[in-house]
Amino acid sequence: MSQATVPRAAGARRAAARVANPAGRMGYVFVAGYFVLLLAFGVVPTAYALWLSISNSRGQLVGLGQFTRTFADYRFLPAFGHVLMYLVIWLVTLMVLVVLLAIMLHGRMPRTSSALRFVYYLPGALAGVASVLLWLILLDPAASPVGWLLEAFGWDTLAKVIAPDHLPVLFTVIAFWTGAGGWIVIMYGALNNIPHEVIEAARIDGANVLQIALRVQIPMLRKWIAYMLILAFATGTQLFVEPQLVSTASWGMIPDGWSVAQVSYLYAFQAGDFHGAAALAVDLVVVGLACAAVVVFRTGLFEKD
Amino acid sequence: MTAKSIGARLAWLITAGLFLFFFVLPVIWLLLAPTKSDAEIIRNNPFAFGSLDGVVTAWRNLYAFQDGVIVTWLRNSAVYTGLALLITIATSIPAGYGLALTQFVGRKTLLTVTLLTMIMPNAALVLPLYLEMDALGLDGTIWSVVLPFSFFPFGVYLTYIYFSSTIPQDLLAAARLDGCSEWQVFRSIALPLARPIVALVGFFGFVGNWNNFFLPFVMLPDSAQYPAQVGLNNLLTSSAVFNTSSGVDNAIMRPELALATLVTVVPVLLVFLFSQRALVSGMLAGATK
Amino acid sequence: MRIPTSRRAPALAALAASLLVLAACGSADPDPAAGASPRATAFTPVEQVPGSELLVWADATRVPGVEAYQKAHPDVKIKIVTYSGDANGANDLQTKVQLFDRSGSGWPDVAFNVNYNAVTWASEGAKPYAAPVNQGLIDKSVLDGFADGALAPCTVGENVYCVRNDLAQVVLWYNKKLFDDFGYEVPTTWEEYQALGERVAKEHPGYLVGTAGDPWTPEVYFWAGQCPASTVTGAKAVTVNLNDPKCTRMATLLDKLIAAGSVSKDTVFASGFIKDHADKVLMMPGPSWYGQVLFNSTFKTPKGQIAAAPPLKFEADQAAFTGNVGGGVWFISAHSKNLKAAADLVTWMTTSTDYQATAGTCPAYKEAATAWLKGQQDTGYFAEDVAPAFTEAAGKVWPGWSATRYSHEAIYASTVVPALNDGKTLTSLLGTWQTAIENKATSLGYTVNP
Repeated sequence: MSQATVPRAAGARRAAARVANPAGRMGYVFVAGYFVLLLAFGVVPTAYALWLSISNSRGQLVGLGQFTRTFADYRFLPAFGHVLMYLVIWLVTLMVLVVLLAIMLHGRMPRTSSALRFVYYLPGALAGVASVLLWLILLDPAASPVGWLLEAFGWDTLAKVIAPDHLPVLFTVIAFWTGAGGWIVIMYGALNNIPHEVIEAARIDGANVLQIALRVQIPMLRKWIAYMLILAFATGTQLFVEPQLVSTASWGMIPDGWSVAQVSYLYAFQAGDFHGAAALAVDLVVVGLACAAVVVFRTGLFEKD
Repeated sequence: MTAKSIGARLAWLITAGLFLFFFVLPVIWLLLAPTKSDAEIIRNNPFAFGSLDGVVTAWRNLYAFQDGVIVTWLRNSAVYTGLALLITIATSIPAGYGLALTQFVGRKTLLTVTLLTMIMPNAALVLPLYLEMDALGLDGTIWSVVLPFSFFPFGVYLTYIYFSSTIPQDLLAAARLDGCSEWQVFRSIALPLARPIVALVGFFGFVGNWNNFFLPFVMLPDSAQYPAQVGLNNLLTSSAVFNTSSGVDNAIMRPELALATLVTVVPVLLVFLFSQRALVSGMLAGATK
Repeated sequence: MRIPTSRRAPALAALAASLLVLAACGSADPDPAAGASPRATAFTPVEQVPGSELLVWADATRVPGVEAYQKAHPDVKIKIVTYSGDANGANDLQTKVQLFDRSGSGWPDVAFNVNYNAVTWASEGAKPYAAPVNQGLIDKSVLDGFADGALAPCTVGENVYCVRNDLAQVVLWYNKKLFDDFGYEVPTTWEEYQALGERVAKEHPGYLVGTAGDPWTPEVYFWAGQCPASTVTGAKAVTVNLNDPKCTRMATLLDKLIAAGSVSKDTVFASGFIKDHADKVLMMPGPSWYGQVLFNSTFKTPKGQIAAAPPLKFEADQAAFTGNVGGGVWFISAHSKNLKAAADLVTWMTTSTDYQATAGTCPAYKEAATAWLKGQQDTGYFAEDVAPAFTEAAGKVWPGWSATRYSHEAIYASTVVPALNDGKTLTSLLGTWQTAIENKATSLGYTVNP
């Protein structure tokens, strides 16, 4: 993309590194510990899951049989539809707001900024039971601390708040509430590593805040944003916690197979069908990988600057 | 010009304030919940303050649940996440550095595979992990939780991106030309700059594991081994709020649940404050380089 | 640091082992519709080790009972694990048992579950988790001491796969004080119930005679109305017919009362309902646990107001029937090495008057229930003795509604309740509801007959 903003003689440097590090054996030492963990708890389980998705309970290879079988499931298309709707809203919201808030907080008031980052992060610390309890009250206009807001939309009962049309937006709000703070911290940390001189130089050149953000800060956050995009996409396709949460908090008013990951879970642990569950998981991985590939190639995430 | 800057400041204030409101309002409600009785939580103004006696009562009821088992949960969580944190930092910081700043065959494969395992949905990995632990003879031990917790590809990526966008290659090349070994380069150049990323990785690893429910739930066979999240789930499902067969003597209601969640959140917030300081000190380190 | 290859070996061994385990278990038909292989009729226990430790899984509410048993029987070795008990729609026991089935170890010898539907999966498969307790584990004389029909959900074919802990028979709860104040008569038929619902809507708007937004509305109203929504007719075959007149009559009744405003579309546990409607409940058909759990603990209705009447009857019917909402069960594992001790513990937990008399919910064992009802009367909470209504209802649970692998509560709450709140009528939703049940049942391997 706009690599030109960072004037560097990348090629020459890379050559120099290669000369100094001809065999790269040390590279293996650095990654060795992680490699063992990756193999044991990443690769082996994933490989086994892949095998599950192409075999049946007798251990016979069935090719794409599990995939076509799960595709015919009555929940398959609605679940993918739901997740797609959610993804669009979720990705746009997260990307725009996280970058905006991180840049805003990266202003001059360190105390305020630090306090705000803490407060924005707070919900991220609440998980599981805490969130069930919270949304149980929050979503019910009669008892909710934001009841006036819900009623302003004309939603005067719990059932109206969680009407099927509202769900993608509602899940985005919940996911953003719990997850955005963490990403803001990461982006803030990344912004810290942009040398002051670069921004000062731009300022002296007469660039205003917006121009600095668009022409200097965001291009230099390129890899971080790419990473966030890939992960946000993947976690978005795997949407599980939020529907489960609202379902618990509403005594089951959300179908148990609303999202694809939920259907996969039902296959595994309600029907005892680990093969169908694995096939659905692989569907999600393929979609996630496709997105990742696009992002990786477009942004040069794997390249060394 | 001044009018414009006042406008900008106003926009800043409104936006930051709006989000402040959004993020903090539910948390304030949660903080106030244990001061009230269950009936007050539902019937009174959501932001009314009950009384400090309410907190004492809630704590007494919570602590009476299975003879103070909540302390056991917290201790278990601390052990699992603590051990995992050490292994995570020890493996992912060098790995991220190696991926970012050394050249070796298989580097891109490793990055790709890491990404693949990161986007694999958890539901599909539970059975394989369970069988693997069983085959390794680790089932039922704390290692069946600690070791998978230690595997933290997210942190490896954070470190990778951090090093690859923070440390200029020519700095390393110069050090190498000066005769530093790769290990010395890592020790003397990368590690001093690594404080913010250690803080980030440590923090996210800690929170992720502290809040993980499903893995310990699946792996641990004994309720004395439960970490906080699994324990809290038992607390929730034993409460009359969610368990219609709980009967009348149940003292665990909304105030107790709220207090329990607050108690388990405290360690996360402490770790956050610590890592915040490291992040800011990273900013200074960045300024001097 | 240089250990990747030596560490790789166990990991690969793990993979190989996993594959072997898979191959060894891969005997069931891959087609999910036949996922339940024929049930083993004769039960063959594993080799018994007398005196071996019992692993007991129970929810936090039941754990004190197990501890009491332990105290009374110090020679029995027991290890207690607290788990959710599958309350609130969890399926923790099934999840774990499926993993234990794969790894071949770890099953609890005794497990409590708040949801009797669990018996459907626990009694299925090549080697079902649950042992048939009637095959030499628990005496027939003991099993005969349970309330009529209490063991029906546990009974699959000839065998009884679980022991019922508590009953959740539906009775008609009413507020005696309000009835006295308003000068009303407690109804005895659904027709009178409907008339009174319409009358109170006019005379005292805002007061309620029931709710249609609870997940368990199907059990409270449609089960009691003998609607054939869930009749298991054979191994993995179920009849679902919501267009039956016995379903439509109840749907029509509820629609009229919803329109009148005396039946709410909320669920009784929603904070909004507790806040705004809890003190306006004139009457409410509901399970036996409503008395303490809902009116006393949740609504905080004052002492001396709430009472229970026997189940309602349709005028056209010969007899009154009622429904049932929940009721926990105890399983004994077919893999247990100490079936004798397991059976003894389960028998004690379900039948001991000492323990059950003070339990939170109505015991399924008749003798214990008598003592328990006496205890309820002694609490002084109820305006009148609830024992006659409870006892009558216990024997009148309609037998045509079976336990299934899917939960009617989940289906109703997610398909019907949102549409009701969107302004649709129950009658118009019967088709959607029917399809949702059919889909869910089919996905779990049932053949659905209309």
